Amino acid sequence: MKSIPKLIRRYVSILLLSCILLFALNFILLAAFASRQTPNSSPWKTAEEAADALQQVNGSEYSLPEPIAHELKSSDAWAIFIDEETKQVKWQTANLPKSIPLSYTLSDIASLTRGYIDGYPTFTGKAENGLIVLGYPKDKFWKHMWPSWDYYTIARLPKLVLLVLAANAAFIFLIYMVANSKLLKSIRPIVTGIQNLPSGKPVYVNEKGLLSELAFHINRTSEILQSQNNQLQKKETARANWIAGVSHDIRTPLSMVMGYAGQLAEDTDLTDEKRQKAAVIVKQSKRMRNLINDLNLASKLEYNMQPINTKKENIIAIVRQIVVDYINMDIDDRHPLEWETDESLTLCPVTADKNLIKRAISNLIQNSINHNEQGCKIYVKVAVNNKKCSIIVSDDGIGATDEQIEKLNHAPHYMVCDENVTEQRHGLGLLIVKQIAAAHNGTTIVEHSPYGGFSVKIILPIQE
Amino acid sequence: MDSDYLKNKHILLVDDEQELLDMVVSILKEEGFFNISAAKNRKEALSLASASKPDLAILDVMLPDGNGYQLMEQLRQDNEYPILFLTAHGEDEDKFKGFGLGADDYVVKPFLPKELIFRIMAILRRSYKEENPLVKLCDSEIDFDCAEVIKNGEHISLTAKEHDILAALYRNANRIVTIDALCEAAWGDNPFGYENSLMAHIRRIREKIETNPSRPVSLITVKGLGYKLMIK
Repeated sequence: MKSIPKLIRRYVSILLLSCILLFALNFILLAAFASRQTPNSSPWKTAEEAADALQQVNGSEYSLPEPIAHELKSSDAWAIFIDEETKQVKWQTANLPKSIPLSYTLSDIASLTRGYIDGYPTFTGKAENGLIVLGYPKDKFWKHMWPSWDYYTIARLPKLVLLVLAANAAFIFLIYMVANSKLLKSIRPIVTGIQNLPSGKPVYVNEKGLLSELAFHINRTSEILQSQNNQLQKKETARANWIAGVSHDIRTPLSMVMGYAGQLAEDTDLTDEKRQKAAVIVKQSKRMRNLINDLNLASKLEYNMQPINTKKENIIAIVRQIVVDYINMDIDDRHPLEWETDESLTLCPVTADKNLIKRAISNLIQNSINHNEQGCKIYVKVAVNNKKCSIIVSDDGIGATDEQIEKLNHAPHYMVCDENVTEQRHGLGLLIVKQIAAAHNGTTIVEHSPYGGFSVKIILPIQE
Repeated sequence: MDSDYLKNKHILLVDDEQELLDMVVSILKEEGFFNISAAKNRKEALSLASASKPDLAILDVMLPDGNGYQLMEQLRQDNEYPILFLTAHGEDEDKFKGFGLGADDYVVKPFLPKELIFRIMAILRRSYKEENPLVKLCDSEIDFDCAEVIKNGEHISLTAKEHDILAALYRNANRIVTIDALCEAAWGDNPFGYENSLMAHIRRIREKIETNPSRPVSLITVKGLGYKLMIK
C-alpha cells in the first residue's frame, strides 16, 4: 500500500501547480487587458487634454478645438468650464443636461472631483483660470470615491498575498481530500486485494461502492486461482502418495529377497562362488532399498509434503555422528573416512531438521562409496565462513569431468524437469541433497576435490 | 562380548505375512535363538503371550485385526518387556509415534539379517544384564552396579559422571562414541561447550582403568570424533 500516499501526493501537487499557473495566467491576461485599455479611453486623460485645448476667444468666449469636441461627442460626454474666481460655469457644451447646476461651491467641486454630478460620472482637468469638468453618461463609468490606503497595509501586501495563496491552497486541498476520500476508501480494499492475490491465499473484496465491478473481478480471479491451486495440490499429493504407496509395497517382498540372500551370503556350507552370487543379490537389493527411500523422500520434498521439523542444532555434532556411524559400520576398509574439521571449532549452530541433514550427508558419503568401487579416501569437514556453515564431503576417487560438474550444478534432475529425458542424469542422491539444502535456505556446490576426486559442499546459514 | 546367555530368551514375532515370519524365524534360529513364537495376527499374538511370557516382541505395524501400536499397549498391560517394530513405513512420523508409545527400537523393511540381529542383541543386552556383569578390559575390570573399577585387586570407585561416560562407552563397546554423545550422556540435552570437561573426565577415567594412562589401550581417542572403549 505504499503507492497510495504517493498517488495522493502526486495528484495534490499537480492540482496546486495548476492552480498557481491559473492564477498567474489570469493575472497576466488582466494586466494585458488593462494596459490596452488605458492609453485611449481614460476619461481623466481626456479631461486633461480638453483643459489644455480649451481656448479663450474674444475675451469672455471659449471654444474647444474640433478633434477634442468630436471625441467628446462620440462618447456622449458633456463638458463645462468653471471659472476659478466666480465658481460660475463660463462655458458648456451644447448637450449639457438640464439638471446640471451652473454655479458651484468649493465643496461641490471637491465632491464632483471625487465622484458624480447628479449621477453623471465626472472627471476634471486643470485649465487656465478654471476647471474643465467632463461628464459621461451615467452607465459609462463607476468611480471609486475614497481611493486611499494606509502605508501599513501596502507594506504588508506581499505577506498578505502569500497568506491568501496559502489559504487558497489549503482550501483546495481540503476540497480534494473530501472529494477523494470516498474514492480512496473504495480503492484501498481493491489495492489490498490485488496485492494479496500472488500470496495464494483466498482473497475477498466487498463488492459494493464505486468500484464494485473491479472487486467482482478480483474475487472471481481469486476463486480461479484457488481452484487451480487446489487441483495442483491434489495432483501433487496424489503423485507423492502414489510413490509412497509403491515404495511401501515393495518393502515387504524386498525384505524377503534381502533376508534370504543375506543368509546365503553368510552360509559357510555354500561354495565361495555361490556365496559370491548371493552377495551380489544383497548388494543389488541394497541399491533398490536406497532407491525406494530416495524416491519417496525426493518426491515428498519436491511436492512440499515432507514435514520439516527444525530446531537449533549443532551441525558439527550431527556430521560427527554420521562419520562415526560409517566408521562403526565398518563396511569395508576400502573407503576410510577422514575427519578434517578444525579441532578448535566445536559449535556451529544452525536451525535444521536433524534427520534431513543426516540424510543429506549420508547420501554424499554413500555417493563417494558407490562411485569408487576400487576404493577411495573420503574427507568430511565442517567449516565456518562469513556466518555460513559449510559441510564438505570430498574424496580422492575417480572424480568427474568439468562438463559433468557443470551439469550437476546447473541441469535440473529428470524428476523435476519437463523435457524429455534422452541422456542419463545423475541419481536421486544428489537431488535430495540439493532439496534438503534448499529447504534449509542453503545451497549446494559440486566441484573438483582438492584431493583429486569429487567434492560437494552444502552451505547453510548460521543461527546467531 | 559374550552374549550366549541371551540366546534362550523367548521372542514373540508378529507379522501378517507367513513368508516373512518364516524368514525372520530362520534368521533368528541361525543366530542361535530357539525359543521363538510366531503369530500372524493380534489375537494369536495375545494368546501366545499369555501362554508364555515373551522376553522380546517383534511387531509389524500393520496387522489384519488392528495395528501394532495397540498390540504393544495390550502386551504391556501385564508385563513390561522390550518391543521392536518391524515395518514397511519408512517415514519419520511413524518412527516418533512408535518411540513415543515406548517402543525400544524400529527396523524398517527391507533389512539385512545382520542389521536385525544387531538391533535385537542390543535391546536384549540393554534389558537383560548378566548376573554380576564385570566388564573385562585389558588392564582392569569395571563393575557398573557398584560403580567401581577393579585394577590389580584394588577397588577404585567411579564418580557419577565417570560412571555415565563409561556406561555410554560400554553400550557401544569396541565402537566409536562421539564427543557429543558422551557429553549428552553426562550432562543431558544440548550439551554445548563441555568438550574440555569431557577431556578432563576421560583423563581421570584413564588413570583408573589403564596401567599406563598416557598410553591408553582400553579407552582410545579417535581424533576429532570421539572415544572407543575396547573390551575383551
